[in-house]
Amino acid sequence: MADERFLQQALEHLDALHNLAVYLTRNGSEAEDLVQETYVRALRFSHRFEPGTHLRAWLFQILRNTFLTFYRLRERESTVSENGVPEGDSPMFHDAPGADGERSGIHMDLERALVRLPEEFKTPLLLAEVEGLPLEDVARIMDCPVGTVKSRIFRAKERLRGILKDYGDEPTSTGDAGRG
Amino acid sequence: MPDGADGTHDDAGEIGRVLRQRLPRHAASAGFRTSLAHVLTPAPARRAGPPAWLAPAASALAMALVMVLYLAPSLPKVAPPDPLGPWANAVLNEHARTVLWGQSRPDVVPAVLPWVMDEGGVLLSWVFTGDDKIQLVNAYPMYLEGRRGIELAYQDADGHTVTYLILPAPTLALPERGRVQIDRWKPLVRTENGFSMILWKQQGLLCVLVSDLVSESDLRKLKEYFIKVRSSSEPYPHS
Repeated sequence: MADERFLQQALEHLDALHNLAVYLTRNGSEAEDLVQETYVRALRFSHRFEPGTHLRAWLFQILRNTFLTFYRLRERESTVSENGVPEGDSPMFHDAPGADGERSGIHMDLERALVRLPEEFKTPLLLAEVEGLPLEDVARIMDCPVGTVKSRIFRAKERLRGILKDYGDEPTSTGDAGRG
Repeated sequence: MPDGADGTHDDAGEIGRVLRQRLPRHAASAGFRTSLAHVLTPAPARRAGPPAWLAPAASALAMALVMVLYLAPSLPKVAPPDPLGPWANAVLNEHARTVLWGQSRPDVVPAVLPWVMDEGGVLLSWVFTGDDKIQLVNAYPMYLEGRRGIELAYQDADGHTVTYLILPAPTLALPERGRVQIDRWKPLVRTENGFSMILWKQQGLLCVLVSDLVSESDLRKLKEYFIKVRSSSEPYPHS
């Protein structure tokens, strides 16, 4: 059955979608709701998916649109600073993988820094750098030109570096994120 | 992956590397994976056959339909609204007042009639005053359903009171149903609460002849009185 095959293929990207959802919603249960809604919509509109195109990017696009429609408004209502960056830097992920000591702190600081990025910067950064999507796919997901995506990723990294510097966690040239 | 402006290429690349290597990935839990699969897969399964509740529901619906068809003839019917209902009630009340408290004063009728027409707002160029079978015994101005009118009280040889009410009702249309051909007219004949009524429109006026003559032979008499009144009276509204 076409639907079952489509669902099976779509579910292969569950972990990636869930990961982005967690970073967008900053809440485990909301992330699951978002992912579930994404799959429901994907199934409902599966006839619109063009076989041969990038299913992973299509799912990310649905997830982001769903997030913007249902979750971002609520996020803005709760805590937003004047520049659109969520206020407060309390850790959002209580179940973040923490090994011990320094490494756990690096994880925490990276996540805290990422949380402070606006969605317009955070999503392309995660899609391109963490998920490894081509810039063309990211541009389609973000519904903007590739040049804009490049610019946003660059600015996202700049901001991230600045925030990490505040934490004393700026990555060194050797790649170690030593705590100052 | 391009990293943007010159001079910051290395730093930006480093950030990307750190993100890839050290940013925790939040994979979906096994529980969520299972529940998601459960949520997404029942839909195709449901399409395989009709739901379990469909058969008993359809059976109950069919039984209800049969019961309705069986009982329908005995169910009370909702009658359409009767535009004459309020008028008929008011006419009967007025007739009852005349029967109970009206006085038989045929001697004063000629004197009182101009005042009655003036007060009631209805003029009579001709009026049937009676014959050997029925006599005009009194006349009153009246106020019925918010309108002024006049009332002529007759009494027949058997002592039945016949009341002739005339009042303006230019917008009231008499229904076709219930009309009876009497001589050259076709007025509406109603029997209600032990009284008979013959209603017709004349010059934009509602005219009603009402009496307790309800049996077949009595109704025939009332129709004769109608012919006399209708042919010998000429009411028109006071301008």
